[in-house]
Amino acid sequence: MQIEHKDWYKLDLSAIVYPTLQRRDFSSVYRLSVLLKEEIQPDILQKAVDMALPRFPTYKAAIRTGVFWRYLEPNNRPGPFVQKDVKNQCQPMHFKGNNRYLIRFYYYRNRIALEAHHSLGDGTGGMCVLLTVTATYLRLLGAEIENGGFVLDINEAPAPGELEDAYMKYANSKVCPPRPQEKTYRVRGTKEPFYTMNIINGVMSVAEVMAVAKKYNATITEYLNAVLIYALHEKQLADKRLSLRPVKIAMPVNLRRFFPSITLRNFITMIYPGIDPRLGDYTFEDIVVQVHNFMQYHINKNLLRGDITTNAATQRNAFIRVVPLFVKDYVVRMFYTKVQDKNSSAGLTNMGAMKVPKGMEEYIERFDIYMGQPFSTRTNCAIISFGDIMTINFGSGIVEADVERNFFRKLVKDGIHVKIESNRTYSQEGK
Amino acid sequence: MSYCVNCGVELDGSLQECPLCETPVINPNAVPFDKVSSPFPKNVGMVEEVKRQDLAILVTVALCSIAATCGLLNALVFEGYLWSLAIIGACVLLWVILIPVLIYRKQSVYISLFYNGCATVLYLYLLTYLVGSDLWFIRLGLPIVVFLTIVCEIWAFCFTKLPQSFLTRALYFFTGVAVICGGLEVLIDNYLSGPISIDWSAIVITVCVIVDAVIITTLSLKRLRNAVRKRLHF
Repeated sequence: MQIEHKDWYKLDLSAIVYPTLQRRDFSSVYRLSVLLKEEIQPDILQKAVDMALPRFPTYKAAIRTGVFWRYLEPNNRPGPFVQKDVKNQCQPMHFKGNNRYLIRFYYYRNRIALEAHHSLGDGTGGMCVLLTVTATYLRLLGAEIENGGFVLDINEAPAPGELEDAYMKYANSKVCPPRPQEKTYRVRGTKEPFYTMNIINGVMSVAEVMAVAKKYNATITEYLNAVLIYALHEKQLADKRLSLRPVKIAMPVNLRRFFPSITLRNFITMIYPGIDPRLGDYTFEDIVVQVHNFMQYHINKNLLRGDITTNAATQRNAFIRVVPLFVKDYVVRMFYTKVQDKNSSAGLTNMGAMKVPKGMEEYIERFDIYMGQPFSTRTNCAIISFGDIMTINFGSGIVEADVERNFFRKLVKDGIHVKIESNRTYSQEGK
Repeated sequence: MSYCVNCGVELDGSLQECPLCETPVINPNAVPFDKVSSPFPKNVGMVEEVKRQDLAILVTVALCSIAATCGLLNALVFEGYLWSLAIIGACVLLWVILIPVLIYRKQSVYISLFYNGCATVLYLYLLTYLVGSDLWFIRLGLPIVVFLTIVCEIWAFCFTKLPQSFLTRALYFFTGVAVICGGLEVLIDNYLSGPISIDWSAIVITVCVIVDAVIITTLSLKRLRNAVRKRLHF
């Protein structure tokens, strides 16, 4: 079936920010990967990509620069071509490179990986692309897989709701709550050379993590957030700094859970759970209670609506709209570097438990997710689970792994069996 | 399977040491590391170079158009004197400077500096037609450009090939500034046909020599270097 495409798409509210942060050594690129049970056949995978990608017009797109805003334009150049995976994942993605595609497909042994620029969409949208391509790939190999969930029908035209900027639809609260603006603890470390992303994966059992979280009267996300805050807090104490700073985590919340939207573009907002060690000592139990209460209070429809209304207010402002793009770029970059990036000590995202349609489960071993190279010297943590396998993926651009060490040691101390994988190389650090 | 004795985590069979605490894995019963394939590939990806052909074509066409139209205007309309040579020369100079940025990004910095020096000499030579005398060019313009090109080439060598740190870079910088000021004064005095003497540049050279002496002392004493690094880190 011929799928009709629009000529161009406005960038959504979140997507506007990511291109302005683009540097020679940084792009807002995230990575999703699925581990199958059998070795990948690259020619079949390429066929699957070619068949499935036209179903996602906002991913088969190039970013262009207008006078006032950037926009997405359908990209009919050849590609994207599947490539052998590389050690240094989430490399910068230049807008004019890769035939102007902002997505990359990789394969390595039994793994299919998708890297996408955040200006195209968030993890949920990316997961739809990856799983639809994977389902198409498995179907080409003879599997019988139904459509549903993250697997979309590649013969169907995209629904208008999949391409919409859902922020503008739901950013309608009567007031705009202020943005959090507090300098937080920053992890200092030795920067790795261009372009290195140090990865440490922790693989564990969902049941074990759930049992431990339950012991602390918390959900899995709350518990893992608390562990990361604890790891950062320990690191801050070990740094022996003259003055302590609040430790906060930047955590994206999937707004589709609260607002009925099927958009494949960005539809997330950030919340910042954390502790302020200047107020006094925190035990791990105190941190869990703090995070639990913070989440209970902040993750609700109305507060999230207020948050996106605040963000949308800038885009709706008539004066801001007529300011030329290069001025906007400068101001947004300054704001992000000086304020937004300093709001949090690390990033953590939890994609939750992955569900796949009937017939697909038996082919999949596990999933991985990486938030990509952090904008500044810190570490990002991403969590995803499938069946009873949970993977916690850390990605950082610094040599030291103190935060990761504190994090996984705490999990082990709580009785969780953790298996570690890493792409770090040895004998390079002056050992 | 191996476990880290410090962290208590199970380690993937391909890991030679714990990535969390760098403790080596010593397990005589485990399969050797090189026989276990890593979950991560070994090949390192390269970031794709962005072609700037379109911009290069645009800039080249724009500069050529400016030069050609100014030349025609000078030849046909405003015929008084050769004012267009200044603009044509500026276009050539700008284009040569932009070669490593837009056209050939792999061009060596030494070649780029040499081309820039040649283009500047050409520009100054064109200006001699405009002012009607070439004495200033031969005795002042040309020697200064040649001298600055040589200093820049040496600087480029120092900043790329010699050891790099905050202090060594400062050393190269201040030494270069002293040489440039001294050289400029000598060349200017030579052009003015006066006795060659070091006056104003002596102040700059003195300051630079003091700074250089401090840097060299700091560099030669490890203890002092560490103390400076500790107190001045940013």
